Amino acid sequence: MPTAVITGASMGLGRATAHALAERGWSLVVDARRPGPLTDAMRGLAGVTALAGDVTDAAHRVNLAAEVHRTGRLDLLVNNASRLGPSPQPELRRYPLDELSRVYAANVFAPLALIQLLAEPLAAAAGTIVNVSSDAATEAYPGWGGYGSAKAALDQLTAILAAEQPALRCYAFDPGDMRTDLHQQAFPGEDISDRPEPEVAAAALLRLIDGRPPSGRYRAADLSAPAVSR
Amino acid sequence: MRRPADSPPEARGLARDGVRLLVATPDGMLHGRFSDLPRYLAPGDLLVVNTSATVAAAVPGRRGDGRPVLVHWSGRVAGDTWLVELRTGEPAVGRVTDAVAGETISLPGAATVTLLHAFPGRGRGGPDRPRPRMWAAAVAGDAAALQARHGRPVRYSYVPRAWPLSTYQTVFARSPGSAEMPSAARPFTAQLVTELISAGIMLATVTLHAGVASLETGEAPLPEWFSVPPATADLVNLTRAAGRRVVAVGTTSTRALESAVDPGGRVRASSGLTELVIGPSRPARVVTGLITGWHDEGASHLDLLAAVAGDDLVRAAYQAAEQAGYLWHEFGDSCLLLPPSRQPLAGPGASQRLMQPSSSSVSTGLVT
Repeated sequence: MPTAVITGASMGLGRATAHALAERGWSLVVDARRPGPLTDAMRGLAGVTALAGDVTDAAHRVNLAAEVHRTGRLDLLVNNASRLGPSPQPELRRYPLDELSRVYAANVFAPLALIQLLAEPLAAAAGTIVNVSSDAATEAYPGWGGYGSAKAALDQLTAILAAEQPALRCYAFDPGDMRTDLHQQAFPGEDISDRPEPEVAAAALLRLIDGRPPSGRYRAADLSAPAVSR
Repeated sequence: MRRPADSPPEARGLARDGVRLLVATPDGMLHGRFSDLPRYLAPGDLLVVNTSATVAAAVPGRRGDGRPVLVHWSGRVAGDTWLVELRTGEPAVGRVTDAVAGETISLPGAATVTLLHAFPGRGRGGPDRPRPRMWAAAVAGDAAALQARHGRPVRYSYVPRAWPLSTYQTVFARSPGSAEMPSAARPFTAQLVTELISAGIMLATVTLHAGVASLETGEAPLPEWFSVPPATADLVNLTRAAGRRVVAVGTTSTRALESAVDPGGRVRASSGLTELVIGPSRPARVVTGLITGWHDEGASHLDLLAAVAGDDLVRAAYQAAEQAGYLWHEFGDSCLLLPPSRQPLAGPGASQRLMQPSSSSVSTGLVT
């Protein structure tokens, strides 16, 4: 039975990915900060172990890792949990540095910490790491200096990890705009109902996992074909 | 017979440098005191010492069912991940053999350590051992603070009473991180260093944080963090070019130096986690002499000695030490191995050794 860890699984892309994998019969270890929404999101799914906690909390990460190591198998790690920063997002010249530090903790340090803790089962399974990125990592949108630079750091971290660990698949996955809570935070008060549902991006993510193309950065939009051609 | 030193020499009425020194050369064995060291070396010879300081690496904890346990922290391998060994009590006698992956041990001050997987892991081809001893474990809490506040020096059963941490520091100890004392340098004193310098003998430093030494036969040395600074790399290369000896003080200094050798045989400034295994398939390339205590902790230790000094000299030295009643272990007597003064790879059998692939030196990947 393939096993995956998905962080931030109570909403949005994390929730959609968890549902898609659970329907295929995967075992899942998932987390989210708030227990209520996490329980609601996972209701009705079989083979799911849900742990409430914050990925920036070292003790929580250890609990998550311990859950995986008890069974000993891990095929996929999806570092999806994310932090946008203040809403609305401040310009860099007045970006509060303590907030920036929290944004980096969630988007850069926590994903790497989980990769380190789960290195052994991932290596044993020649597994896949998906770090969820954003187009803000590559485009210079005003106001996106905190989140965007953190995701850029995550992209580069993923690229170097891929070079260091040729036996693994290491992907930075850019889902594009989605109708999610995080996206709403980025555009407070705006109507985002024209954005696609996260299930669309989750389907693209699954094509990435199935196709196992070379490690690298992939956009959901480029994975929309029925099969990955490269 | 092998007699363990059950207490530090100071407690036995000796100065640190008053322990016995066996000087092993191809021409025979010489018996002296460690304070005589300058007379066995020549001006321009280079002693390489380890500046790692010993930490109080044995921290008491409780297992899930309340049983007490002693956690030996061997070293950090990544982020919050450490290599640990579990013992049932102090001094370290019984090994915990019923631990399982995922088990969490409570530590003082609400910290915890959670066992992730047996080490080495399956990712490195190592099958799951039936009763694993070394674990990769994740700490929730500040490991260094835990050790400083609640730890004690790692101690084995041949040392019946506890000694303060200062007993486990060498005169060169500056950078905390060794789970067990890099004990080869323990007999050095400030006075002896002055004598060495005055005799034209040089000193250079490396750092290697020694892991727990309680390895069994057949177990590979653990990954350890090391650093060779630029000035040391330069001095080693200069000493070699001048045809002088590079004498490593301890197997830890040897491992650090040999981990910093580039394919051309020169030492480069470097640091990182080393997994180098020095032995029959990877002879020493730059170390041409060795100061070491007397240990019998499995084959990997003797393999390293033989890789520097050759099997015959090491065997003769051990035989002489046993016959003369030298004291074993970290508080015991010392040995200076001086193999024939030559390029280390120029002797008989060297070409055959050179044909064999060398082990990878510095780890660049995730240690699993």
